[in-house]
Amino acid sequence: MADNCFAGVDVGSLSTDVVIINASGKCLAEVVIATGLNGGETAQKAFDQSLNQAGLAQEQIKAVTATGYGRASVAFATGKTTEISCHGVGAHHLFPNTGTVIDIGGQDSKVIQVDERGRMLDFTMNDKCAAGTGRFLEVMAHRLELGLNELSDPLNIKGETVQISSTCTVFAESEVISLLAKQTPREQIVNGLQRSIVNRIWSMVTSIGIHGEVTLTGGVANNQGLVLVLEEKLGKKLNVPENPQTVGALGAAHIALRGYHK
Amino acid sequence: MIPNRKKYLKQQAQNGQKIMGVLPALYPRELLWAFDILPAEIWDPPGDILRANAHLQATICPIVKRGLEFILKESASVNAGYLFPHTCDSLQNLATQVKDLIGTSQPVYTFYNPKAQFNKTTRRYYLDLLQDFQTTLETKFGPLNRAKLMAACELGSKIDIRWLTLQNARRADQLELTNPEYFQLVRAGEYLKPEDYLTLLNQVEVQAGPVHQSNRRLLLSGILPPHEETLSFLDELSVTIVADDLLSGSRRFPITQLDTPVDPFEYLTDRHFLLPPCSTRASNLKERIHHLQKMISESQVHGVLFNIIKFCEPELFDHRFLVKTLKQNRVPLLSLETELLPGISGQDRTRIEAFIEMLDEQVSG
Amino acid sequence: MSLVGKLKYQFMKDIGAPALMSLKDLKQHRKRPVSPAFGPPLKTNKRLKEILSRHYFLARYVPGAKQVAWVTSGAPVELLRAFDFYTIYPENHSALVGAKKQGADYCTIAENDGFSQDLCSYARIDLGHMLSGKTPAGKLPKPDLLFCSNNICQTVLYWYKAIAHELDIPLIHFDVPFVAVEQSEADVRYLAQQLLDMIPILEQFTGKVFDLKQFEIILKRSQESSQTWGKILELMQAKPAPMTIFDAFGHLAPVVSLRGLPVAQDYYDLLLKEVDERVNKGIGAITNERYRLIWDNIAVWYQVRYLATFFAERNMNFVTATYTNAWAETTGYLDIKDPWSSMAKTYGQIILNNNLKHRLGLMRKMIKNFGVDGMVMHSTRSCKPYSVGQFDLRKALSAELKLPAVIIDADIADERVWSQQQIQTRLEAFCETLEDTTLG
Ligand SMILES: Nc1ncnc2c1ncn2[C@@H]1O[C@H](COP(=O)(O)OP(=O)(O)OP(=O)(O)O)[C@@H](O)[C@H]1O
Ligand code: SF4
Ligand code: SF4
Ligand SMILES: [Mg+2]
Repeated sequence: MADNCFAGVDVGSLSTDVVIINASGKCLAEVVIATGLNGGETAQKAFDQSLNQAGLAQEQIKAVTATGYGRASVAFATGKTTEISCHGVGAHHLFPNTGTVIDIGGQDSKVIQVDERGRMLDFTMNDKCAAGTGRFLEVMAHRLELGLNELSDPLNIKGETVQISSTCTVFAESEVISLLAKQTPREQIVNGLQRSIVNRIWSMVTSIGIHGEVTLTGGVANNQGLVLVLEEKLGKKLNVPENPQTVGALGAAHIALRGYHK
Repeated sequence: MIPNRKKYLKQQAQNGQKIMGVLPALYPRELLWAFDILPAEIWDPPGDILRANAHLQATICPIVKRGLEFILKESASVNAGYLFPHTCDSLQNLATQVKDLIGTSQPVYTFYNPKAQFNKTTRRYYLDLLQDFQTTLETKFGPLNRAKLMAACELGSKIDIRWLTLQNARRADQLELTNPEYFQLVRAGEYLKPEDYLTLLNQVEVQAGPVHQSNRRLLLSGILPPHEETLSFLDELSVTIVADDLLSGSRRFPITQLDTPVDPFEYLTDRHFLLPPCSTRASNLKERIHHLQKMISESQVHGVLFNIIKFCEPELFDHRFLVKTLKQNRVPLLSLETELLPGISGQDRTRIEAFIEMLDEQVSG
Repeated sequence: MSLVGKLKYQFMKDIGAPALMSLKDLKQHRKRPVSPAFGPPLKTNKRLKEILSRHYFLARYVPGAKQVAWVTSGAPVELLRAFDFYTIYPENHSALVGAKKQGADYCTIAENDGFSQDLCSYARIDLGHMLSGKTPAGKLPKPDLLFCSNNICQTVLYWYKAIAHELDIPLIHFDVPFVAVEQSEADVRYLAQQLLDMIPILEQFTGKVFDLKQFEIILKRSQESSQTWGKILELMQAKPAPMTIFDAFGHLAPVVSLRGLPVAQDYYDLLLKEVDERVNKGIGAITNERYRLIWDNIAVWYQVRYLATFFAERNMNFVTATYTNAWAETTGYLDIKDPWSSMAKTYGQIILNNNLKHRLGLMRKMIKNFGVDGMVMHSTRSCKPYSVGQFDLRKALSAELKLPAVIIDADIADERVWSQQQIQTRLEAFCETLEDTTLG
């Protein structure tokens, strides 16, 4: 195995993801673990697992690009790039016709415009408030005593809905509490919540614009109900990768590869 | 070496200097100088906001909150009252809130800045305002000495001219100053006596050729520059801010050099109406974008950084339009929103880095 | 302006609109039940509805017949009336959208176009309307001209600047210096001169010649409407008060937006008569008025009904408000013989353009004259000039007059800001203290 390999390590606020590719871009390993208290250690752990998975020794990895909010803590990285660029590049590799990328992660959501070569043309990012992120949904799931999978059920979206008008997580939570007190069915509340998140994301989408195909990345892309609402709003299908959480790491691996050959 | 704001003002107060606390942003500084008053401007005094929260809603901008927090502390360095220029709705109300409801041991003065477009009527009114302000100050500080006013205008004019030179030098990358250093220099004018400020400006060396040779040149727009840590972070990324459109910066200096003052009030009036377009003076949007575009091309920047203060209506209204137009003209830009907290957030680091990655890709083609 | 357009407008104004609208009246849907805590409703309510729907209805026939101006609530509209503009009040329209609980929809349109969520919701709603053409009022004519005065806030100036730029139409701005201490001679001169400067501009824009005689008639009418409005409000000093301030929020519309037109004067004569009658007969707005309250700040348009019922059911009535009073307060300065300077004084000293010492004095007087037992302050996210200082106004009034008071955080027209749970709790606590102190 003389092949040169490249890794991308995305230390996100909730998940740490590693992708290893070979020189022709083929994916050899894909790992997702929860980000622990120590981002550096988690990164090392995820990296070791991915080497294992691919059956590679560390020397075979010629370059490692770190990304995500913990990118600076990855000691073994040879370069670092923001997750904004990485999600753009990753989405471009999976869906080459992508013009707009929506990344909804645990604490941040971003909308990115890329050109036909995957280069970033414009981007925007949510403000400090968590409304419009995965974290928001987790808080609400907890409040509704639902698992993430139940919350994501696309069936919830089909039925009636309620208006969750607050744009602030704390107020939205108290709205949910009073809806529960009024015996509002949980499906309706979930429906309302999914729609309120999408409204939050939507103002970012309009500020960047819809260019060509739209690709959804980040863990929240696993939420099928939300995907449906977003598609409804968009009026067309979204590209949803099989493993949306690792798109950032994939982009990082490609950036490592590209940098190595420069 | 730039003297520390707090220490300098304390020292001045101990020397018996009259010091007036001045809130943002535009006022006839020369008139105060002529009364031997040192204006000490209050933009973003550091520290926690505690007491001001009992007087102001959560949705009021941090400049107003910090201003009130400072006033409530009754700093010994302010001994000649507070001046509230008319800048925006929030500061307008804060002035009367402090004066008529909360109260301070210091007198409170106000100065209206006309919001109408420039014409004969507006000009005439500005002259009246100067006259009325003079009368108000005279009742407290004694008769105005015309010769002193003349001298103040001449000194102000020298500062303006020197400032213009340095600004051009910065654009040509001829100042060996980091981003924080450059803005410390700009902001020293908020509290130094005019003669000290002029000395300081004259000490700055203008190099013969470019010093940073940076291919990451930005224009900064907003009310205030970002926090020092953010400015340093830009240096780390080899980004140089070569031009500014800040209310606390270039928006307070005339666009062009004025003739030497002949009649002080005429001079101050001309100077006021020759300031660059600004949201707080309700300038026309066409003029604002024209001015920005001109700065962008003259200083050959690669992009624009907006530093927006949370809840600032004047800036936020114009911001939407400026962003829209600049994007249409394919000028890369990044907007940061600040609540004037110290340090730099992880989110802002990511935003800035991503912005630079984007610029680099676009520059490298 | 085309002759056909003018004829069509005239026909609709005199015959078509009333006829079509009475048809619409027939299909009026069932009314929601009204709490028994309320007294008999004002008969004039019906007339108000007619006037306002007719105004919005007629707006469709205006293009081609009259020039249209969008005007801020504090602007000296009399000058425009002298040039026969058809006027639209965007603030009024935004309040209407808010009352229909559609504020958030319109705000979102503006926000998606780049306007910050932190801007005044009247502005966001109107910009949302401008960007989308949407309105619950059928159809609004596009403005030919904008007329704006910053005597209510600087916000309107930014808002109108944005429209002027977007639609590429002229903006006439009346710059009104804030009264930090008192109006100076220079202020009055500046204001009067600006008005005079506008005449040739308007003459050129409309092709009409300014007619001073006609202008004086309009000014006089406008003053009469304001004065009559003032008298109506004063009648609310009676116990029980003949109407609630929530009624007054609605009856305010003509003095804001139709001021200077005969229809407004006729309307207030009618309303005055009815209110006067109610006072004489002792008919109250609520059946059992035990506590009298003052309201501070603009209405929470999407919750007027909820608030009115909440208080009525607790035998509490709002008998006065700084907001409704604003269009009557300074009209005494108006002097037909000296129109320019007197307009400078009238428009330059309205409550939002005056210092907080003035506001404190005014509120103190209202509390005394209207026999007020408690105060509800609406701290509104949208409006800095109305809201900055409220905390200290409250402190001063409670301390001095031992007045129970509560502040609720909400917004005039963006219903997303409303937090039902939090507000209900605060209001209930307020009612409890009120019952305590006034009994004990
Ligand atoms: N199966 C699933 N169904 C629904 N939601 C899911 C699922 N899996 C993950 N998520 C959501 O994805 C989020 C995490 O996404 P991701 O791993 O992309 O975040 P991150 O990269 O760590 O965060 P950030 O990019 O904000 O730093 C979680 O908040 C969770 O709510
Ligand atoms: S930041 Fe904006 S809102 Fe705050 S004081 Fe300055 S101009 Fe006013
Ligand atoms: S609500 Fe306040 S800020 Fe908004 S337009 Fe009215 S006066 Fe101005
Ligand atoms: Mg992520």
